[in-house]
Amino acid sequence: MPLLLYYFLSITAINILMSWALYLPYRVAHLHFLTVANMAISGYLSGWLVQSLRLPFGVALLAGFAAGTLVGYAVSLFIGEAPTFTVVIVGFTFIYISRTVIENTPAVGGTLGMFGLPLVWSTPEGHRWTILIILGVMLLLIGFLIHRFEHSRLGRAASAVFVDKDLATSFGVDIKKLGMLLQTFASAVAGGCGVLYGFIYRSFHLDFFTFHLVGLFMTIIFVGGYATMWGTVVAAPVLYGLSLLLPPAVASWRIVIYGAILVGVLVLKPEGFITRRLAVNVERLLSSKRKS
Amino acid sequence: MQVFLAQLINGLSLGSIYVLLVTGFNLLLLVAMIIHFSYPQVVVFSMYIAWVVLRYTGNSIPLAVLASVGSSILINLASAPIFQKIMKNREEVDINSTMVVSLGIGMIITDVLSHGFNNGLPIAFPQEVVGEAALFRVGLISLQYGQVASLAVGALAVSGVFLLLYKTRSGRAFRAIAEDPSGARLVGIPLLSTGLQSYALSGLLGGLIAVLLALMLGYASPGLGEQVAHKVLAVSIIAGLGNLPGGLVVGLALGILEALVQGYISGSWSNGIAFVVLLLVVLIRPRGLFGIKL
Repeated sequence: MPLLLYYFLSITAINILMSWALYLPYRVAHLHFLTVANMAISGYLSGWLVQSLRLPFGVALLAGFAAGTLVGYAVSLFIGEAPTFTVVIVGFTFIYISRTVIENTPAVGGTLGMFGLPLVWSTPEGHRWTILIILGVMLLLIGFLIHRFEHSRLGRAASAVFVDKDLATSFGVDIKKLGMLLQTFASAVAGGCGVLYGFIYRSFHLDFFTFHLVGLFMTIIFVGGYATMWGTVVAAPVLYGLSLLLPPAVASWRIVIYGAILVGVLVLKPEGFITRRLAVNVERLLSSKRKS
Repeated sequence: MQVFLAQLINGLSLGSIYVLLVTGFNLLLLVAMIIHFSYPQVVVFSMYIAWVVLRYTGNSIPLAVLASVGSSILINLASAPIFQKIMKNREEVDINSTMVVSLGIGMIITDVLSHGFNNGLPIAFPQEVVGEAALFRVGLISLQYGQVASLAVGALAVSGVFLLLYKTRSGRAFRAIAEDPSGARLVGIPLLSTGLQSYALSGLLGGLIAVLLALMLGYASPGLGEQVAHKVLAVSIIAGLGNLPGGLVVGLALGILEALVQGYISGSWSNGIAFVVLLLVVLIRPRGLFGIKL
């Protein structure tokens, strides 16, 4: 498999998964940037487990999921029903704190980072296919779970919370538990993504987990459409592909381009390109075709 | 004891800059009803403009100050229609979506600074402008030109804003909108033009802060705005969003905390520790210490 295609597919998959990890808590109006800190924490933890303790990749991946879940759950106990801006600042402070801790921890390479992570398969080609298969399975599984969530009572409760918290509470929705559930699930996904993100490049560096990543995921969600899970599926490959197709001189300005697209879309198409109405219409069309 | 006093002076001058930033941020929040998360990035952009002007005018300080204030006001006013359109789209005050737009604006500013100025490297302000020698020194305790300026201008500017808010007609209009926008409209207060005044006023403050930061730090980098932005939002939340007196207390406290940590603990941990304290307070009191004024 050509290297460029491998990177395109794997990074697009990570971008979709991470954007879903932001999308889910945003269903209850939480911009949960803690997920980016979770990526870094789980990623570095798995790198350390594999390099220093010589544990197999599978165990490290599971540890990454577990660490993400644990951090996400612990934090959600405090901010499960906090206002959006509080959730935002908790995420940002966590990114700073995790970066400071990693920078000052020689066991995970400090400012230099971790390099030369082992292959997860015996050959480089096998390594790439393994990563892609894991990402593919994660996409299908997590996509299925989110789809089921959207069509469940919980999904409708989340929509009610997004529109009017007080009204949702009066209908008996437990806002805190719902917020905690979504934040914890998002953190678990982010933990797994962090591990895979590092193993795609076979290295970890603090530059992987910057605020640019937050900007990218946010652009994917709001440009694709924050009201449905399909928006990110469409926007992630387009936006990442765009940066690969542009000439290098222009591509280096990709963050400016993403920022401009984000602001432009919010002004001109506030719900993004894939709106809830559009997604519902497409689903109806598909189900009527299946019946006929 | 000398270290403590020296760091206390450092902390007060740094804190006064946080207070100014939080005041500008809260003004926009209360009157224009936006969370202008990237306000500190606008400030850092103005620092860069001042640096460019200093370079091309042979270190003309008045022109640099003018350029800094002018650019800050201009960016704030230029972003006003974007925020207004967002609020109109949502047909209600939606501070969350304005925060996302502001994050987008911040992304643009930070990346423009990374690519468009000094090859992305941090910029250093000339020594003759920043002031090389201390104005006063006893042992470890010293007073730099930038510290005195930030304390004096900070105190003057914050007093000016409070006087404006509580002793003038415009201030009454600002407070009326902050209290009840619909009621303010009913009694004939023009929401749009008053909102624009708050953009201009916070822009003016932003330009001044840029000059003070340049004097205090002597350098700027593209990432500085992001870091300060996160602290300003954290201070605002801890104080209680929109709470101006609360912002004053918490801004000064953060400045002193940071300076003390820098004085007693390794520099590489100082930011992390400040963020841990901010995080703990936010987690324990997600709605702030002094109450939200929205």
